[in-house]
Amino acid sequence: MFSFGFIFRETRNNLRWNITLVLATVVAVWVSLTLFGASLIIREGVQQATQRWQGGIEFIVFMNPDATEDQLVAVEAGLSENPEVESWDFFDKNQSYNEFVTAFSNQPELVDSVTPEDLPPSFRVRPTVTNSEAIEAVANSFNARPGVRLVSLPLDAIRVLQENTRQISVFVLVLSVVVLIAALMLIANTIRTAIFARRQDIEVMKLVGASNWYIRLPFMMEGVIQGLLGGLLAVPMLFLMNDLLAGFVEEDFLALLRSLVLDGGAVGGIAMMVTGIGAAMGAMASLFATGRFLDV
Amino acid sequence: MACLVRRLVSMIELDGVTKIYKGEVLALYNISCAIAKGDFVFLVGPSGSGKSTLLKLLHRQEKADHGSIWIAGREIGSLPKARVPRLRRIVGCIFQDYKLLPNKTVVENVAFALEVTGSPRSAVAEKVHPLLELVGLSRKLHSYPNELSGGEQQRVSIARAFVNRPPILLADEPTGNLDPDTSLGIMRILDEINRRGTTILMATHDSGLVNHARRRVIRLDKGRLVQDQAQGQYHA
Repeated sequence: MFSFGFIFRETRNNLRWNITLVLATVVAVWVSLTLFGASLIIREGVQQATQRWQGGIEFIVFMNPDATEDQLVAVEAGLSENPEVESWDFFDKNQSYNEFVTAFSNQPELVDSVTPEDLPPSFRVRPTVTNSEAIEAVANSFNARPGVRLVSLPLDAIRVLQENTRQISVFVLVLSVVVLIAALMLIANTIRTAIFARRQDIEVMKLVGASNWYIRLPFMMEGVIQGLLGGLLAVPMLFLMNDLLAGFVEEDFLALLRSLVLDGGAVGGIAMMVTGIGAAMGAMASLFATGRFLDV
Repeated sequence: MACLVRRLVSMIELDGVTKIYKGEVLALYNISCAIAKGDFVFLVGPSGSGKSTLLKLLHRQEKADHGSIWIAGREIGSLPKARVPRLRRIVGCIFQDYKLLPNKTVVENVAFALEVTGSPRSAVAEKVHPLLELVGLSRKLHSYPNELSGGEQQRVSIARAFVNRPPILLADEPTGNLDPDTSLGIMRILDEINRRGTTILMATHDSGLVNHARRRVIRLDKGRLVQDQAQGQYHA
């Protein structure tokens, strides 16, 4: 016969008697899993952004502010005829000025010093090719045309961005693994303390013939609950972090960073994984602690 | 053949049992005896004679170095660790220091033995109250151990050991900390339990109690069995 009621009561008592240590452990698991989840969000975001950048990259052909109508028509014709150009948008001086005003709205003195006449018209070009060398070749073919001031490729910026985000992700991952190990040890120690606090009960249980699992299970459940609680607390933090990132990159007028932000489903998947890891951590730590410190 | 039959009839049988602690302290040497179902046996001898060690071997708190021990027809020396709890459900144990849980009431202490062996709560209430009546504690159900006298605490301990209705009850100096009158009260309860069919092996060095009861006496001295006598006497 097996009484789940007894196991639940014992688990509840263990958690109650040990409440301060249990809370400290849950906080440690919470922090470590939030960091771990954050590193996963960053990695996932970088992967997503890389795919989008490679698939939808565009280069910009800036014309001279005093470029003639003929020169503009010639570049336009060149873009239309080029099979490696999928589509393009023309930004005249007024559109460029509007974009400039939006981008530098927090620097009114800079905006005041510029007029639409000072800004070059430009072509925003989306090539059909996706690899960076081919895009570079297409872009450079417009470099020498009359009236063209420069061709701007965001590839370097993307490389820097990828490298930086990769480094941040690795750093957060390493940090989270260190904190995860600390949290594991903390769970194991909490259970060790609970075993010590209940040594009289355990002795009596053994003497009256309680099975090993009857003695072990309340302690194991205690560990799982601590891990699970830490994991569940990390879930809203992960959504909050993703929202904060979304708010932050909204100001990026090139929309380069927006691809780093994950949708709710992707964050939900990571959150579920983090919760599962929390429960698994609790089970692992308690299995270790009961195996090591509970002589049954 | 005779050996096999005796093993089937006996509740407890020891065959050439020797226990040596840390490879050098001889606790028991070549003990052989059999206790039939329903017997009440006193295990006597001075301190250090091996009484507690023998009880620990029967409860599988310790393992014999040589010889074999049979409980209810089953050899327990080779019993896997995972099966020991089952053995302890048929061999109840009473201790000189009671081993009650201080944060549990009388009822809870007795019920604990049922709960940890998987009995449902309904069965707990059914079994605990009549038993506490038997040991005379029906008016102290909700008292804590520190609110009870030594004799009352020992009666709780007896109720806890007997609540699973084990066919064998081991008592390790159950009256060791009690005055003569209280000891007689404990003996009366153990007699009653024995009358209900439970085999009892009680370690004691209280000669007055042993000689008054006129039961079988097994005497140990320096780990050796020196007397095994029906309706025996003991002079410490």
